[in-house]
Amino acid sequence: MAKYDVIVIGGGSTGTAVARDCAMRGLKILLLERDDIASATTGACAGMISSGLKYMDEPNIVDMCSDEVVNFKRIARHVMEKNPIITPLLEMSDISSGGNFAEEYSKRAETRDVPPVLFLTPEDSLKIEPTLNPDLIASIYFEEYFISPFALCMLQALDAKQHGADIKTYCEVTDILTKKGSITGLQYFNRITDKMESAKTKAIVNAAGPWAHKIAALAGAKLELRLNKGAHVILDRRVVNVGVIAKAIEGRMIYLFPHENTVLLGTTALDTWEDPDTLVASQDEIEYLLKSMEWVIPSIRDARIIRTMEGVRPLIPTWKIPEGDVTRGYEIIDHEPEGVSGLISFTGGKLVMCRHMAETATDLVCKNLGMESECKTHNEPLPGNSDDVDILALAKEYGVSQHTVERMRARRGSETATILELTCDHPEWKTTICTCEPVIEAELRYAIRATFPQTLNDLRRRVRLGTGPCQGTFCTFKAAAILAEELELSGEDFQLEIVDFLAERWKGKRQSIRGEQIAQEELAQGIYACVGNLDQALEELDYDLKPWEEVL
Amino acid sequence: MDLEADIVVIGGGMAGLVAGIRATEEGMKTVLLRKGQSATAYSSGAIDIIGYLPGGTVPLGSPVEGLQGIASMFPFHPYGLLGFTDATSDTVSKTIVEKVRTAVSWLKATLLGSSIPLFGDIDSNLDAVTVLGTVKPTCMIQETMWPGSLMLDADSVALFAGVRGFPVFNPRMAAQVFLEHQISNRLPPRKAGHHVLDLAPFGNNYNISSIEIARYLDNEDNLSVLAKTLKKQAERIGATHIALPPVLGFNRARENQLALQDLTGAHVFELLSFPPSVPGLRLQRGLETAFVNGGGTLLVGHHAKMESLESNIVKEVTAVGPRRNLKISTKAVVLATGKFIGGGITGTENGIRESVFDLMTVSESFRIATSITPQKLTNTIALTHMGHPLFGSGLSVDPQFRPITAEEVHAAENLYAAGSVLAGYNYPAEKSGLGVAIVTGYMASRNAVDYVKGVSA
Repeated sequence: MAKYDVIVIGGGSTGTAVARDCAMRGLKILLLERDDIASATTGACAGMISSGLKYMDEPNIVDMCSDEVVNFKRIARHVMEKNPIITPLLEMSDISSGGNFAEEYSKRAETRDVPPVLFLTPEDSLKIEPTLNPDLIASIYFEEYFISPFALCMLQALDAKQHGADIKTYCEVTDILTKKGSITGLQYFNRITDKMESAKTKAIVNAAGPWAHKIAALAGAKLELRLNKGAHVILDRRVVNVGVIAKAIEGRMIYLFPHENTVLLGTTALDTWEDPDTLVASQDEIEYLLKSMEWVIPSIRDARIIRTMEGVRPLIPTWKIPEGDVTRGYEIIDHEPEGVSGLISFTGGKLVMCRHMAETATDLVCKNLGMESECKTHNEPLPGNSDDVDILALAKEYGVSQHTVERMRARRGSETATILELTCDHPEWKTTICTCEPVIEAELRYAIRATFPQTLNDLRRRVRLGTGPCQGTFCTFKAAAILAEELELSGEDFQLEIVDFLAERWKGKRQSIRGEQIAQEELAQGIYACVGNLDQALEELDYDLKPWEEVL
Repeated sequence: MDLEADIVVIGGGMAGLVAGIRATEEGMKTVLLRKGQSATAYSSGAIDIIGYLPGGTVPLGSPVEGLQGIASMFPFHPYGLLGFTDATSDTVSKTIVEKVRTAVSWLKATLLGSSIPLFGDIDSNLDAVTVLGTVKPTCMIQETMWPGSLMLDADSVALFAGVRGFPVFNPRMAAQVFLEHQISNRLPPRKAGHHVLDLAPFGNNYNISSIEIARYLDNEDNLSVLAKTLKKQAERIGATHIALPPVLGFNRARENQLALQDLTGAHVFELLSFPPSVPGLRLQRGLETAFVNGGGTLLVGHHAKMESLESNIVKEVTAVGPRRNLKISTKAVVLATGKFIGGGITGTENGIRESVFDLMTVSESFRIATSITPQKLTNTIALTHMGHPLFGSGLSVDPQFRPITAEEVHAAENLYAAGSVLAGYNYPAEKSGLGVAIVTGYMASRNAVDYVKGVSA
């Protein structure tokens, strides 16, 4: 049986960060993820690595966030972008929390390489963002950094792998083994091999996010979480020049953030007891977001909604206060005092803190294992961060559009040249497979070979396949064929990949379907049902209903 | 008045063109407005009449069988409406079948002399093979798309040949899917191979579209390179049939097919494919040519605008073009604006709307849909044999194919509707899209012509 110093459960931002930190300190690591890297909470966030703007009354957290932004700029600048943000004020009461925020933000601005908070006149505000409600009385301007959550997790996992870690996706932990109150190992079901497997270890880090309490329970430990659902509405393009933050109908703050090629409108916050796998955004959530943003961007409903996206926050269990008042700090719980030695769990936290959380947890693991070591994760770059990428030169050299090369760079950084080099032997791999993003065949082949996707949905998280306005209408069958060739899938599995991918896309498209997106869906149904006849193939294909699907 | 017409047809897809051609054949002065590219041009070019009963999972052996099922179980299906006549009930299904047969035979005759002759009839469904390697039941296909004896002859061997840099068709996966399907159904062929051709029609061997290849092959000189490689590859595996993506040309597809068959000794056919679809465009062109040659006036890039439907008779339609508005006086109107792709029906968070006359819309099960949120008309499962009721929503019509109001009377006595703007059938699931378009276009046109003749008399 395989033996590890530490087993990490969960492949989100925290789990992959812990695996990376442990592996860099020389520990033998296994990371188990029951689905794919960044396929749950992390994959549903907007990617803002916030300076802590919502938590200005927790100065130590603001300090930490600010420092972490600087760290990310050092190790992952290629998957980051800086976005200007405007908070328009329509009435004096909108300003209530403005003063303290401006002061706290500006104090730490210089270290993050952003200007201090500015107060803009209505004229200047409208010059920057013409879609704003012209009745605004002023606006607050500041800048925040964003990171691609998928890319961050993937790069952390790849880096951990390069440092010797074993990363296993589609492996769901089914039992944690203990002897006399100490962890001895665990069992997991490998959904790829369809087999139960087990591994030995004395230390487990539980980074299972909204499932952390269930993992703890497998070891007989207690863990409480306050699960809170957040939903986004995704618009088809950059309908605003800058990020916009506004007060929602009940006074919470919501945002409209540029995100890759799209814009995210979010979020809602609803305490939830549902299985996170079954959740979809509700009609009420969609309308809440549109209605709230409409005050400051009156034309928001003219934008084409492509889908919704939802996730569950694993908040620290503080009760009888609104979600917004729960600390965004994190807690690391060592279950040793309750008689489960070797298990530590996370609650709370934010994307921006994931590296910090991993450092603290790894320090604790090392202490428990009786070893001394130093954290290096904030200094050593993630893969692809080494050099600048000359987009214009590469586009010219390989005869690929600048737009394509730039989008590739935003995912792979300095690996872009390596990917493009594949087209020397295979010029046909310059073919654009996903036109919305865009993604060329060479990048798909590279991602399949280098980043262990098991499904087409995994490939979507790697390269943003099928995430644009057409939502996979034109790329699903093309990309599925490439995946099937690379992984040597059967004809049946090739068709299942198509159907599974469309099922996942439909989950988000369905809730907000309206306007042009209905025509888009009619076209998708025309291709895959009417012509492809795949609607009639489900039974023959052994299709498993997804958690959010209901029997007709 | 800028133009005068007997009949204005709004919409230039299959339903509109059938209605338009029929009207010109009856001596009507006909003006047809086409806003943009129709869903027909996006289609695979295969003409589905009915492949599955609504909600059914067993492919129908013939459209006739399906029409008989609809006659007894789905009276408000557009095909079912054909049975509402003065005749006694035991002839309903016969009436429906005969009306469909008439319309389909007429279409076949209309396209007989064109570059896209059709193969098949309503007495049996064909198994058509798609670029995915899947098989679907359909009624008629263009002759270049007929797979011949591939699935009947016990000794047949298939070669799936794609083009390097043309991502729509992966011959290896298509061959695999097709072979797995045939073997599990104990049907020939028992062997299928694949090959990727190097064609580079206009210099590049990447990002190639079906349109480019078709244009390239419309030049007679370009076929020989293709033929030589195909012959070699067919001989390599002993192929009796060669499956190509539908790229054999816009004008010379049939000639190219026959030439390739001569040169390779195998039966050559085109697979069903996705938009942009060469066979869909061929169909669109063939129909438009028939309409214009018959004396019809085609206004491309024009959509219809109506103030509102205040009187019981539509006397005028405004055609809005890029730089002009044309007022057209008319005696009858056929509304064939399509569903969501065509833009005849739209959906917002507030409900489902008809876009030209703001007529009453209904769901697939004929509930008034003008204030139903589109999401409520969908299932949680993306692809199912039930389809999504949203795509069965549209207009409710009387047996004359005149849209009706909430009071269940016709909205106007000279306004008829045809094609996918109609409610009550789910074409992606049933495989009935172009069939309903042909038959309802044919019938709506006939009713409109009768009305105009009656008024003029």
